[in-house]
Amino acid sequence: MSEITLRNVIKRYGAVEVVHGIDLDVEEGEFVVLLGPSGCGKTTTLRMVAGLEDVSDGNLSIGETRVNEVAPKDRGVAMVFQNYALYPHMTVRQNMEFALKPLGLSAKEVARRVDEIANMLGLSELMARRPAQLSGGQRQRVAMGRAMVRTPDVFLFDEPLSNLDAKLRTQVRLEIAKLHNRLGTTVLYVTHDQVEAMTLADKIVIMRDGHIEQVGTPEQVYSQPDNMFVATFIGSPPMNMIPAQVRERELQANGLALKVPPRFEGRLAEGQSVTIGIRPNGLSLAGAEMPNAAPARVEVTEYLGNEALLDLRVGPHELIAEVPALGRPAPGTEISVQFDPDAIHLFDTETGASLSR
Amino acid sequence: MAYIRKRNRSIFLIFLLPAILVLFLTTIYPMLYAGYLSFRSYDLAKPFVPRVFVGLSNYQNVLTTGDFLHALKITFQLMAITLSIQLFIGVGLALLVTQRLPGMSIARTLLLIPMMISPVIVGLVWLFLYFPELGYLNYFLSYIGIGPISWITSPDWALWAIAIADIWQWTPFIMMGTAAALTSLSPEPYEAAKIDGNTRWQVFRYVTLPQLKPVLVSLLFLRAIDAFKIYDIIFVLTKGGPGDSTEVLSLYIYRQSFTFWQMGVGAAASFVSLIIIVVLITFFFKSLNRDPMQS
Ligand SMILES: Nc1ncnc2c1ncn2[C@@H]1O[C@H](COP(=O)(O)OP(=O)(O)O)[C@@H](O)[C@H]1O
Ligand SMILES: [Mg+2]
Repeated sequence: MSEITLRNVIKRYGAVEVVHGIDLDVEEGEFVVLLGPSGCGKTTTLRMVAGLEDVSDGNLSIGETRVNEVAPKDRGVAMVFQNYALYPHMTVRQNMEFALKPLGLSAKEVARRVDEIANMLGLSELMARRPAQLSGGQRQRVAMGRAMVRTPDVFLFDEPLSNLDAKLRTQVRLEIAKLHNRLGTTVLYVTHDQVEAMTLADKIVIMRDGHIEQVGTPEQVYSQPDNMFVATFIGSPPMNMIPAQVRERELQANGLALKVPPRFEGRLAEGQSVTIGIRPNGLSLAGAEMPNAAPARVEVTEYLGNEALLDLRVGPHELIAEVPALGRPAPGTEISVQFDPDAIHLFDTETGASLSR
Repeated sequence: MAYIRKRNRSIFLIFLLPAILVLFLTTIYPMLYAGYLSFRSYDLAKPFVPRVFVGLSNYQNVLTTGDFLHALKITFQLMAITLSIQLFIGVGLALLVTQRLPGMSIARTLLLIPMMISPVIVGLVWLFLYFPELGYLNYFLSYIGIGPISWITSPDWALWAIAIADIWQWTPFIMMGTAAALTSLSPEPYEAAKIDGNTRWQVFRYVTLPQLKPVLVSLLFLRAIDAFKIYDIIFVLTKGGPGDSTEVLSLYIYRQSFTFWQMGVGAAASFVSLIIIVVLITFFFKSLNRDPMQS
């Protein structure tokens, strides 16, 4: 087990810089998820840690040692690839054995390790099959098994669930969480799926365009987003964003005026352009006379069972509200929507930075 | 429906007819005629003597006089030498030209040139190179203190001289097929092996080679058929000599038919060769049908 440290790590392909000097600490035994939209440099970062890509600049350490120039095999890492990267002509057993070959163990020890991991992952029945004879979920487990037999210090996962159907994804996600609890190995895990990130991570690293936008626990990135990107990227449906101006202790937007919540008192300048952020569950139905309420028109309702999503039009703004499904208003109704002051986030419209701290 | 189907059937027969006709005239009829000749005595030098039926005596002649068996042995010797070396160098070159290194795509194209030259020309080029006193090969060898070697005039060297020319011409074929197969292999398993720390040799032996096997078997098979009927290069370089040291099957058949004018014997030898080739093909497809991933 080892910690991973990145200091000002840069990756360039020729003249194009795709990772712009990122700093990251993965503690020993921690499960860290790199989360971000497609093309933001997650895979590139992971491959640099694995040693499959050179680090163009900066420092990369695993454990105490700088590993920029260390060969992949000497870094003590194992990797699970997005498309599993199994050897197509080898059986499940041979796939796992081949990963152990460099260790030069006795045949007995190899068999013991392979059988142990196979048991743990429920692969014992499949040992004589080749990858083409396995389902997606089974291949995924074989790929994990092949990484685990070597008992590495660090596990690297690149979108390991993206080729599975939704149900299987939930199932394997749980398996991965259980395995991590059991083995306690350091994990660096790449995904573009926020649900995966929220459920698995001790710590989430949100990336965009080769930069790190925020590092924090799932709770932190959800309830205290550092900026507008994180605020809208985490959470589904996404946070509502309303451009507004500060006027006389009110946040004034077209067709909407909210009191500045007390915790922002003294932090805002008169006339400042801010963006109000509020999650769909921060909006509720209310009587017209309530404070912080605004008239709204229900355009569409989406029934989700327990809750319903309302597509609201408030002045020129389109907002999504999440309300109890029971007693939801019909489309076309004029209602009054209330903004929970505790659920309001404020961002500087210019920089996108949160004004909450 | 039935009407249309019936009409369609006659239409497709009409479309097939030209192909069948050509096939019959150029392949089936000559083969049948050769089969007919192989049971007759037919001396081309005496065309007006009736071609009497002689039973199996042509076949007996072929299989009992040592010449045919000697030619068969030479053919397989040459095949073994050329195929094994072509495989070795061809795969090596394929591994080299598929590396992402500067100049490799140019090298790949240049290496294909020998394959594009007519075998007769290849024979002539090597004839000049092998020329005992004036040839370039011995000239260069003399600089490193070797030589002079009587490449095509000594029975010890002649078969090697032919093998070298054939290897020069046909190694690119193995290289091209192998390189194509190599570039189609998915790169991820190689990255997995890199992280796991498998050595280059282990990766080649246990990951690359097994995946290449089906392609290599096909390439070797095509080369084997070519090697079995090799003619032009030998005809230009040695004409089967010195003595009969490079007389392969096709030259033997040629000599029986057009030097000794024994068309019947030539036809019988052709048929025996045909049977050998058919056996080879069957054997090959059997081995292909076995799951190529096993073993
Ligand atoms: N070999 C390469 N050469 C040039 N650009 C690359 C290469 N690999 C990735 N990139 C670029 O780097 C950026 C990040 O890619 P990647 O790390 O794969 O993104 P992610 O995994 O987050 O989807 C992308 O814009 C991609 O086009
Ligand atoms: Mg990726």
